[in-house]
Amino acid sequence: MFCAFLIQIVFRYFSSFPVGWTTELTVITWLWLVLWGAAFVIKEKEEIRFDLLSAAFGRRTRIALGIVAALALLVLYAASLPATYKYVAFMKVEKTSYLKIRFDWLFSIYLVFLVAVLARYSWILWQLLRGRDVHAPDPTKASSAL
Amino acid sequence: MNLASPFSLAVIAIVALSLLGLPVGHAMIAGSVLYLWLAGLDIGTAAEQLLNGMYTSYVLLAIPLFILAAEFMNSGSIMDRLLRFCNALVGRYRGGLAHVNVLQSIVFASMSGSALADAASSGKLMQILMTKDGKYTPSFAAALTAASAVIGPIIPPSIPLVLYALISDTSIGFLFLGGVIPGLLIGIAQMGLIAYTARKKNFPVEPPVPLRELPRVTWQAFPALLMPIILLGCLYGGITTPTEAAAAAAAYALLASFLIYRSLGVRDVYNSLLASARITISIGMLIAGALVFNYVITIERLPQTLGTLLTSYQLSPLGFLLMANVLLLILGCFLEGTTILLVIVPVLLPTAHAVGIDPVHFGIVAVVNIMLGLITPPYGLLLFMMMRIADVPLKDLVRDVMPFLAAMLGVLALITLVPDLVLFLPRLMGYKG
Repeated sequence: MFCAFLIQIVFRYFSSFPVGWTTELTVITWLWLVLWGAAFVIKEKEEIRFDLLSAAFGRRTRIALGIVAALALLVLYAASLPATYKYVAFMKVEKTSYLKIRFDWLFSIYLVFLVAVLARYSWILWQLLRGRDVHAPDPTKASSAL
Repeated sequence: MNLASPFSLAVIAIVALSLLGLPVGHAMIAGSVLYLWLAGLDIGTAAEQLLNGMYTSYVLLAIPLFILAAEFMNSGSIMDRLLRFCNALVGRYRGGLAHVNVLQSIVFASMSGSALADAASSGKLMQILMTKDGKYTPSFAAALTAASAVIGPIIPPSIPLVLYALISDTSIGFLFLGGVIPGLLIGIAQMGLIAYTARKKNFPVEPPVPLRELPRVTWQAFPALLMPIILLGCLYGGITTPTEAAAAAAAYALLASFLIYRSLGVRDVYNSLLASARITISIGMLIAGALVFNYVITIERLPQTLGTLLTSYQLSPLGFLLMANVLLLILGCFLEGTTILLVIVPVLLPTAHAVGIDPVHFGIVAVVNIMLGLITPPYGLLLFMMMRIADVPLKDLVRDVMPFLAAMLGVLALITLVPDLVLFLPRLMGYKG
């Protein structure tokens, strides 16, 4: 969390100067902030989601639906893992134009993100299978970009 | 269109997964992976699009900066001064506090880009002020706050408009300008409605603030009022890009609240940073999903396909716009707004383009639609939020919000039929469309 905060500061205050390397630094921190944060910082409750249906159903249906969704996500993300690795590894041939960071390092955060999401949803799936209601709806907590 | 085609399946999967309760960003990435898989394309492309898209989208950095700026301006004493300023202007009329609520929303809309942030920031305070001594019913006060918060993302800055700029490749600057007149029109429509109801129901008047007090009150609110001017000045003076303008606004907001008003301590600044980082991450995931899904739309050659389809139907631009309005409004009752903006609107866009609708005009119309979705039952996030803040039953809230909804639908019809209302300001600043 503190990490995210530091990154935030750097990327706010350097962005006022339109010099090449700061632009580069800001987009890199933006990329890392979002993916790192989505992987480790954000709690499930804070994600932008749509919960009308899940709130309308009873506990059992909700758990069943949650299992379907978690499984779908796990299968699709796992399926994309090898190809993603290939792409990221392939990017080692390029470096960023100012800071000379190798792109495979830069983009490796997406692999970290994928693995973390897989781990998180495996855990959620496990909880759901054991009958715990992970997404007990809280209709008053509005999370949206709007 | 074939329902079993990879593309339709992907769209169905995205909508279904988000209905099942997955975060919308994840649903979009997963649906796009499904498409690439079914279409026999390289799944690694999803990663490529996401990473490259985020890496090259310097302009999107405006979003976290707008969030931060609003977070800084949101501190108690600034809100107080703005309210006193609004009260001095319109409190003297019948239904004074109701007018103040709308005016305050317009002013705050020019500092923040989010409707929910607008309602959350002033909702509680407005609720207390308006229901004190039984001046207004709690449900009317709550309905009004929800309705006036809708103006937030229509008057610049606006997070949904930045997202629309991303999916439609339109200039943020022109989109922002396009939102000014429709946003003000909605405010005027609401105030008109209040004036009418106030006379009928004999709403209370606030003790008028003497005119000689006005300069003092204005002066106290002045540093806060300066912020939108700085923002727009940077943007349209051609000095900076939208991102830098947002950075300047955030820096100014920090300066104003920390040094001039002293309403923020170091601790609050830290908390504001933290809070906006969290919101940024959630919205960043949405953007990541949108980038991947947009790529799917591009390789699906949807624009061409729809273009051919439409020529066979001979749809007029106006006919299409009206259809889009109805579709978006209906969807807005049931779906979350960002899903509509990032999944449904990109599918409509090529058609809009094919029948010759201006992308800025279409963007504003779409965003107004989506914002109205925030106050339409059964699924309206602003309604849910005000229900909690004001502790009123949804039934009463919906009843009281309906007249405002009707007034806003009138404005929506107006800007749909008269594109010049949207396009006048952008054209004035050199928009060629």
